[in-house]
Amino acid sequence: MAAPALADTPTAAPGPRRRPRRPDARRRDHLVGWLLVAPAVAYFLVFLLYPALSALYYSFTDWDLRTPARWVGLANYADLLFDDVKYPHFWKSVRVTLQYTLIAVPLTLVTALVQALLVNAVRRGSNAFRLLLFLPVVTAEAAVGAIWRWLYDPRYGLVNSVLELFGIPGQNWLNTPELVVPALAFVSAWQCGISMIIYLAGLKGIPTAIIEAATIDGAGPLQRLRRVVMPMLRPTTFYLAVTGVIAALQVFGLVYVIFSGAGRSVTGGPEQAGLTYVLHLYLFAFRYDAMGAACAMSFVLLVLIVIVTALQFRFVRQEAA
Amino acid sequence: MRRASIYLALVLLVAVSVVPFLWMVATSLKHGQDIYTKVPSLLPLDRRTGAWAATLENYAYVLQVGGLGRAFLNSAWVCLVLVPAKLLVDALAAYAFARIRFPGRDTLFVVLLGGMMVPAVTLLIPRLHVTQALGMFDSGWGLILPNVASVLDIFLLRQFFLSIPAELEEAALIDGAGRMQIFWRVVLPLSTPVLSVVTITSFLFHWNDLVWPLVVLNDPDLYTLPLALQQLVASPDGGRAYYVMAGATLAVLPVIGVLLVFQRRILQGIAFTGLKS
Repeated sequence: MAAPALADTPTAAPGPRRRPRRPDARRRDHLVGWLLVAPAVAYFLVFLLYPALSALYYSFTDWDLRTPARWVGLANYADLLFDDVKYPHFWKSVRVTLQYTLIAVPLTLVTALVQALLVNAVRRGSNAFRLLLFLPVVTAEAAVGAIWRWLYDPRYGLVNSVLELFGIPGQNWLNTPELVVPALAFVSAWQCGISMIIYLAGLKGIPTAIIEAATIDGAGPLQRLRRVVMPMLRPTTFYLAVTGVIAALQVFGLVYVIFSGAGRSVTGGPEQAGLTYVLHLYLFAFRYDAMGAACAMSFVLLVLIVIVTALQFRFVRQEAA
Repeated sequence: MRRASIYLALVLLVAVSVVPFLWMVATSLKHGQDIYTKVPSLLPLDRRTGAWAATLENYAYVLQVGGLGRAFLNSAWVCLVLVPAKLLVDALAAYAFARIRFPGRDTLFVVLLGGMMVPAVTLLIPRLHVTQALGMFDSGWGLILPNVASVLDIFLLRQFFLSIPAELEEAALIDGAGRMQIFWRVVLPLSTPVLSVVTITSFLFHWNDLVWPLVVLNDPDLYTLPLALQQLVASPDGGRAYYVMAGATLAVLPVIGVLLVFQRRILQGIAFTGLKS
């Protein structure tokens, strides 16, 4: 597993002019090395490795975080998948999350690509444009949720006023089940700045000679985009699609804030239209103290992520063949 | 003509990015009744007369009554302790992984990298359990210690340390300098680009983080800014957009400041790190 790039430092190559270091110096190095990594390794054991393993164990138990866990075998998994009395909204949350992912990821990538192409095409002010387009990314989820709740306000919100300028009737975005997922996906595309920056780096990596050659051969801007630029950006697009899907399947903070409100507890919006997978998990863990079931949900999600990612790799390999 | 249309498209896209922030600030400066207008205004204007009518009373309210003043200080404290501590833990480990030969080093490093593959949500509940078992639930330490190292940051720092010519350190070793002296006097000063990227992204991440404070804190006196803002949204005042937008502005302003000051480093850094921690 240790690739050569990971294994060797430049000091490893024995140069003829270098005297071998004394054994006690080497032993001291061993000690110093272990001391330096000790805090990080302790952190890793306590807050990463142990939690990961114990999450797997607790997923086979009935557990409320306070009293000792009770082993129940595969019951949590079976109930999640098949018991729609105990978990009436589990499959709903899976559907909502997949739907959100299918809208949000392509929308984000297209917006990011358009932004990157435009920023790349201008000379003056490209830094300022880049910076302003990046602003939504560094904003806290809590603030993003708060801002968009107000933007989507059915009566006084800016979104509806802008739509009415174009003669489109205003909508009650966050209270109409069919509109909730598209509204959330739009917010995610609003935060596409990281993808835009990464696309921009990809665009800078395309040799100008290739673009010029295509131009001389008579390719117009759209043809160049389709036949030259897009194919050369494929690794970037693939990377962004994979990481984007993994993030979208875990969307939580935004929905949590946007649907927390006076009088109604967080339930994921009208008819659970915004009940994403992780929100569902959170509610079972922290509302109903079903920690064991929540751990099981997190492993089902892990499997879902692995499957979706593997499908993406497969799809790309088929396309390339 | 073509150039003009490119600029026009860019201005439109930038407007979509930025106008929500302008509206946030405008709403936060309006008197309560002035936000309920048929045609929303991007300036704090009086609903009837259209005259300039800005006020800071919403800020005064959320800072005191809404508890956002205390939350702002809590967030600042947490970041002030957590970000340097995390940088130190990560840099020490990264240096050892990059430069010091000790048994088991490469295996250990690969195992650590494997830890990055586990989704955060899988770790959330057992991590909370560990935090409780260590007696740090609902405390400042509970915000700091469970976040005090990052495998991704160790990886990034190690990659950079590897790119520093080893001859510099060997010369210092021959001159009798110890490992730690070399680390502080030679390696760290040469690493400011990567150190600043790691510092800034880790500040942004922890300043903005909602999920961990949400599960580990009960005491409202300890709430961080994102959590206090979420509570404001969820409170009966949540319907009052002028309060919520004042709170959101408080959360966003420091981050915009950091972005403006360190824009070059952040945008360069993003290209290879993303914004995760």
